[in-house]
Amino acid sequence: MKTPELSACHELEALLPAYVERSLPAAEAERVAAHLPDCPGCQLQVNQLRALSNDLDAALPETPRTALRANFMAMLEEQKQLLKPEAAAPTPVPTEAKEAKVVSMWPTAGLNNWLRVAASVVLIATGVLLGRNLHWGSQGGTAGLASNATPNQEAHAQLARALTPANGQVVSASDRIQLVTNTTKETEPGDATVQVLLNTLNFDPNPNVRLATCEALYRLRDDPRVREGLVHALSVQTDPNVQITLIDMVVSMRVRRAVPQLEKLSKRPDALPVVRAQATAGIGKLI
Amino acid sequence: MTLTSTSDEELMAAVRADDLDQLVPLFERYHGPLFNYLTRLTNDRDLSEDLTQTVFERILKYRSSYQPTQPFKAWVYQMARNVHADHWQRQQKLRVADSDVEDVERTGALRGGAFSQMRISNSHDDLHEALNLLPVPQREILVLNRFQGFGYEEIGKLLGCTAEAARVKAHRALQALRKIYFAN
Repeated sequence: MKTPELSACHELEALLPAYVERSLPAAEAERVAAHLPDCPGCQLQVNQLRALSNDLDAALPETPRTALRANFMAMLEEQKQLLKPEAAAPTPVPTEAKEAKVVSMWPTAGLNNWLRVAASVVLIATGVLLGRNLHWGSQGGTAGLASNATPNQEAHAQLARALTPANGQVVSASDRIQLVTNTTKETEPGDATVQVLLNTLNFDPNPNVRLATCEALYRLRDDPRVREGLVHALSVQTDPNVQITLIDMVVSMRVRRAVPQLEKLSKRPDALPVVRAQATAGIGKLI
Repeated sequence: MTLTSTSDEELMAAVRADDLDQLVPLFERYHGPLFNYLTRLTNDRDLSEDLTQTVFERILKYRSSYQPTQPFKAWVYQMARNVHADHWQRQQKLRVADSDVEDVERTGALRGGAFSQMRISNSHDDLHEALNLLPVPQREILVLNRFQGFGYEEIGKLLGCTAEAARVKAHRALQALRKIYFAN
């Protein structure tokens, strides 16, 4: 006798909040009402839910201190000053400071993802390179030596030559990954490498090379061309891995300008559902 | 100024068009509810004031992304959720960086939270303590529903689920809260 009673209670438990709220459909409300008189357990639950509901309704709202209003007004004044064209000279500094404040929590989050991507790329690249040890020794070896020995400019030219499709793709994809990964370790933001990498991101036929390029560009993210290039790449890349990586990058770098591209991507019929979902989530994080 | 009769959406459209003064009536309407929402989520008044301020900073910063066709309330709460999530994520990072004292910190935070809550409103100690023991998603849904006056439809939109799913979640959260509240 007890078992059916208990399972009925268990089943009704989910309905009790709605019952207390009086939002149950009539048939179910009758079922609960019919069950209650014989069941002290469920009666207790209903009473508790009513008491809890009353206490929730009676809870007083928290009121902020007046300092909040004062801070808001100060912030508003500051922003209004920024809108005045004459005040352009002294204003850039506060804007930067504000942006930095909001942005600061993201880079580390992005970095973790990047380390993951980087690790997988390096693993793949290492595996392939080990397998073609001889080939690498004869061809890539000179490239490696040269990039160590020559000044920066020559290294860029060499990188560009090796990575440009016009070259007839004499350099294999894994070698190109290695080049992209190695070279950026020695470069600084603002040099020609960024342009070479952006070209690679746009034109390299191999998605893994493009992924490695993304990683390299992330390290050079202080260069304004990187942000511009990423926004552009969002509109042209079609490989889902690259698309998701780009979305992660613009989100972690807080590239607000990417929102229109993300919106387009989230509606693109040829994009995978997971890409569209990621784009939508990205918009949510950026606004 | 007869701003009180102007709709949220009209005001925000004006803000979007760089008439920043129109944010003042929006601040008056929303800073209290937003502060409340964030205080219930974080259990920390000082922090919630900072986060509320951040929400309004972001409104200004991202005003051009506001679409006048979308309800301002939904937009601003989405922003508040993001601000809270960002804060949460940063806290997690700090904890990971110092994982040895993670447990101590957590217990400490819980006790500290209970104390500060006692300071806030004596008459509802138990209720707030019970709320704070709920997992954040459950607490959030109850706060939206019971303290912020959100209907299930609105909650569903905010959380990205159907109104029916929001209703079921809210009821589960209420049952979970009941069990904690009446545990002794």
